[in-house]
Amino acid sequence: MRKFFAVVKREYIQRVRSRMFMLVTVLGPVVISFFGVAPALIFSIKAGGPVRIAVVDQTGKLYQSVYESVMDNAGTPESTPDQMNANALNKDGSERLQQMGEQQEGSFELEEVRPGRRSLNEIKKELDQRVLAKELDGYLILPANLLEDGKPEYFARNTGDVFTRKFLREALSRAVRQQRLAEANIDVKIVQELSEPVQLEAMKVGVTGGVRDSGEGFALVFGAGFIMYLTILMYGQMILGAVIEEKETRIAEILFSSVKPFTLMMGKLVGVSLVALSQLAIWGLALAAFAVYGVGLLAAKGLSLHIPNVPLVHFVYFGLFFLLGYFIYSTIYALIGSMVTTAQEGGQLSMPVVLLPLIGFYLFLPVSRSPDSSFAFWVLMFPFFSPMTMLTRIVTQTPPLWQIVLSLLLGFGTVALLTWVASRIYRVGMLMAGKKATIPEVMRWVRQA
Amino acid sequence: MTNNLPTVSIDHITKTFGEFTAVSDLSLAVYPGRVYGLLGPNGAGKTTTIRMIVSITAPDSGRIEVFGRQITPELQDRIGYLPEERGLYKKMRVGDQLKFFAALKNVDAKEADKRVDRWLTRLKLTEWKNKKASELSKGMQQKVQFISAIIHEPDLLILDEPFSGLDPVNVEVLKEIILEQRAAGKTIILSTHQMELAEKICDDICLINRSRKVLEGSIREVKRAFSRNAVALRLEGGNDVLRDRSLVSKIERHSDGVEVLLAAGTNAQALLKQLIEAGAKIERFEMIEPSLNNIFIEKVSEAE
Repeated sequence: MRKFFAVVKREYIQRVRSRMFMLVTVLGPVVISFFGVAPALIFSIKAGGPVRIAVVDQTGKLYQSVYESVMDNAGTPESTPDQMNANALNKDGSERLQQMGEQQEGSFELEEVRPGRRSLNEIKKELDQRVLAKELDGYLILPANLLEDGKPEYFARNTGDVFTRKFLREALSRAVRQQRLAEANIDVKIVQELSEPVQLEAMKVGVTGGVRDSGEGFALVFGAGFIMYLTILMYGQMILGAVIEEKETRIAEILFSSVKPFTLMMGKLVGVSLVALSQLAIWGLALAAFAVYGVGLLAAKGLSLHIPNVPLVHFVYFGLFFLLGYFIYSTIYALIGSMVTTAQEGGQLSMPVVLLPLIGFYLFLPVSRSPDSSFAFWVLMFPFFSPMTMLTRIVTQTPPLWQIVLSLLLGFGTVALLTWVASRIYRVGMLMAGKKATIPEVMRWVRQA
Repeated sequence: MTNNLPTVSIDHITKTFGEFTAVSDLSLAVYPGRVYGLLGPNGAGKTTTIRMIVSITAPDSGRIEVFGRQITPELQDRIGYLPEERGLYKKMRVGDQLKFFAALKNVDAKEADKRVDRWLTRLKLTEWKNKKASELSKGMQQKVQFISAIIHEPDLLILDEPFSGLDPVNVEVLKEIILEQRAAGKTIILSTHQMELAEKICDDICLINRSRKVLEGSIREVKRAFSRNAVALRLEGGNDVLRDRSLVSKIERHSDGVEVLLAAGTNAQALLKQLIEAGAKIERFEMIEPSLNNIFIEKVSEAE
């Protein structure tokens, strides 16, 4: 045991004492919040002036409503939510991205080109020249039969600007829709009122009767999964480094003459994990402090607070499955570390590992949809996915206790097994110093070590 | 001398890596209070043998006993090992590092503290105790590595090329410590290429070549066995005679003369006669014990 603790202590103290640790601890939250804000900031960068577009209106009556539609939306997209997909809560990532893109397209300049007696080709030629001379950014041609089934055409120097294209398409749709309604003598306001979407309230059935489920449990699972993923990414590399360290510094042989490889490997895993937990605890406490401060501030302003409606036992499960998820993936990194001789090689090999927890993330959906299926059961028992999916299952419909316990046992059993395999590979691999192992070689090492 | 039980006894061990045989049917015995030299060219199987003694790897067949028992990880605490492939944690302070290695050998923290200070003083490294290993010169690092092998006061000390890269002053210091350990009844196994040093320190030697043992015994026995063959000469002329392969198997020129090994089937008288007939002017003609270096080279080239 003394040897084990010596390894743990060394791994822990050396890392916590390093300047890198201090730096990451302090800067980590800053960097993470920066990445939260950066996309919005970048999208808000507006290069160049307003987009100048000429409109050739062959219908002779649409220009005014197109103009209004474009100008109304430009710059203030929040004020005119698109009625047809108004549920802003459900926006997924790509939609949000587009929204930001639209915000960016703050300003347009429209001018009407009256065809007069000229033919369409003449007008096009003239407008082409103005576009090429950069007097215009593009022009729209609204065919005479647009209100029936005609297709408008957009000519521009930069047709790759998807945001402008989407914006114009929507503005035109709105204008055409309004024109059609007006021609059918229907009041636009009534239509808006009639197409107001329904808000569905979910109630969870329990022994105490229906309880309103506002989705906080789900949000927590998602949060926990996200933190798990980030942690794996961040500290997996650290584990990898820790395992390779003795190979690169050529200390491995000294260690092997003193410690059993399994003790060494376990010690490293636990040591680095304590580093990770310390760092997360520091961040958690800082966050909690800020939160308390913020809540106090809100309370002082007379605002009511909202405490998440999640049973306490769920937090215990979060803790357990978080640890499981962390350890499962750490041991994979340890396994990789044991096969390679340098950090670079390790980095390359560890690429696919990043994808594995992502699959767990996706499995989230089928499991929450049909938690009782046998598919869900096997997913819940599969150690590489169970940390993420089991949390979902617990929140959506808590499974029998034996399933949770079995899943945990299988998971931690896998951790021990992987560590054992890693330690065997580690020892034999060290003796074959200098060359990268092939998979059949590694298999042989595990058997013969 | 050899009346007590061997510290290490190796009985017909063989170790192969795939097609390659690293150690083949090797047997040897190492006794307490003696320095045992494991000699041999690169790739002969010395390091593999040592790794099997410290139970980093296991032989395919044969038996190894250390302290009269089949080697177990628990016995590792009584062994001090300085591998040829050795390093230090670059960013760790020297003192912390040594305490860590001591803890890995089950030395308790307080005792380790004392020993670290004592050894650092002895090897004149005290002022480096709180420096990181990366700030040390290579020689200093090697001394720290040596301390890490001996900090738990092992009964069996195994040193793989301990002198490589050390300056003469530090070689002397190390030699002194090794001889001290021997006097205290410890067993030392030493692998080295430096034959002059092996000659001065080792009591017994084992020469391994191409995975097999080719020579074993105390230094005195080994040298005596070869002494009929070596002649020290100082002379003018007679070079053609010395180049005659039927008379001389090996010739080594020094600043004040030459040392030759006689070829098999001839003797010193025949060589002297030939030299005189060739008109060489002989100032010195003396039967000597060959150097370990010469024995080594002769034995190894014999196999080729």
